[in-house]
Amino acid sequence: MIIRALFFTGLSLLLSSCVQPPVFKGEDYALVKSNYPVVTLNGVDIEKSYRLDLKAGKNSLVVVYNTYQYDYFCTFSWIAKAGTAYEITDQENRYPLTLYHWYRKNSLWTRKLSPMDPLECLRKPR
Amino acid sequence: MKPTSLIFFLLTMLPALLFSTGVTAREDNPALEIPGVDETDIRNSALAFVNTTTAPGLEGATLNVDNNERNSDQWRSSLGFSAEITLPNHIYNAYWGLAMVGGSLVDNLRFTGANGQPIHINLRRDIISLRGSLGLSFPLNEHFKLRPVITIATSDMLTKGTATGLLDDNGIPTVITGENRAQILSTTGTIDAIYWYWYDDYRLELSAHYNLAYTDSFSETEPILDTHAWSQTGQLKSRISGPTSLTLSGRPWRWQAYANHTNFITQKNSALGYTALFEIGGGIEWEINIKPLDWFGWQSIGISAGIITSRNVEGFNVGLTAR
Repeated sequence: MIIRALFFTGLSLLLSSCVQPPVFKGEDYALVKSNYPVVTLNGVDIEKSYRLDLKAGKNSLVVVYNTYQYDYFCTFSWIAKAGTAYEITDQENRYPLTLYHWYRKNSLWTRKLSPMDPLECLRKPR
Repeated sequence: MKPTSLIFFLLTMLPALLFSTGVTAREDNPALEIPGVDETDIRNSALAFVNTTTAPGLEGATLNVDNNERNSDQWRSSLGFSAEITLPNHIYNAYWGLAMVGGSLVDNLRFTGANGQPIHINLRRDIISLRGSLGLSFPLNEHFKLRPVITIATSDMLTKGTATGLLDDNGIPTVITGENRAQILSTTGTIDAIYWYWYDDYRLELSAHYNLAYTDSFSETEPILDTHAWSQTGQLKSRISGPTSLTLSGRPWRWQAYANHTNFITQKNSALGYTALFEIGGGIEWEINIKPLDWFGWQSIGISAGIITSRNVEGFNVGLTAR
């Protein structure tokens, strides 16, 4: 009985959580969602942010990956395309953070395409 | 000959066989007496099966134990997912997981009864379990993290058995069948220590895992399975992966090789015929990078195959993987 109740609860949660399409600020904007705070945008220090609307074109971000021993300041530089969503996340790859092209396949799942390493990750002790 | 490792499975079934068929109680029939065995041994064998099937961190497996007293086949498999959730303004992340686990054990036991007659027991256990985990992930640096996790699993176990060679009141060998069911609730505390390192396109991962589990079993049909116990499990895992020249839809395939050791620390060898397993294998995985419902990510899916070995046990693991 308990197993059945848990199963149907989980199924209900599953079906009610469909993937929403990204919302862009305008026609010439891209969207960046980051799991870790963005502290610098195009060379200018900004307030910590996890979601940014970027003008399409060449952009650079510095994102901080915090650990208990060190903080890693990772610099990404790429040409952002209008109407495109990007995601920065940690995935135990070669560098602490990786930038992906976030793509909504349908309402059930998304894809992370074209992984891009940062130009550098500066390590600073905490 | 004093039955040793077989005694526990026999005793697990005997009470059920007696209760379900109305055979006279053990104390009236010397043929059913087995010296040197107590109810603790009976419980240990049942709970060992639960632990070796549903404990967190165990991969799927098909095992065979074959010695002078026992020939048993056991398999386990699971389908689940897990993910870390980044918590803004915190260094640590949250961790969650869900899994459905299934397993089965078929045990053929041979021993000598109190009157010197041969006795054969054929025992089958089936279990299905739903498991949920919540924890935290503490990254110490870019290569190492510690992860304490609490897991709760609810299981349903069905046991059926047949005993031949037991003597009735007239000393004539007879066949007895029995069945019992138990519901099990397990609470497991786990510590994971995970290290990874990249050299060029090659990745090495080393991890250690420790489980401390409290298992509570409830049974209306078998009082001996209305019980509880603590158990400990330790695992050491190693994995290396590298690039291949293969791609599919622009995403690469990687090869992998692994070696794992699992030690069921508090389990007696007599319960299932083994207390530790060593597995070595390899496979290939596709860097699919999808996120179902945008909740959790599957970085790669693939196929793997491995062989499992230990004293008195051999086995294999072939299946799909998703990380």
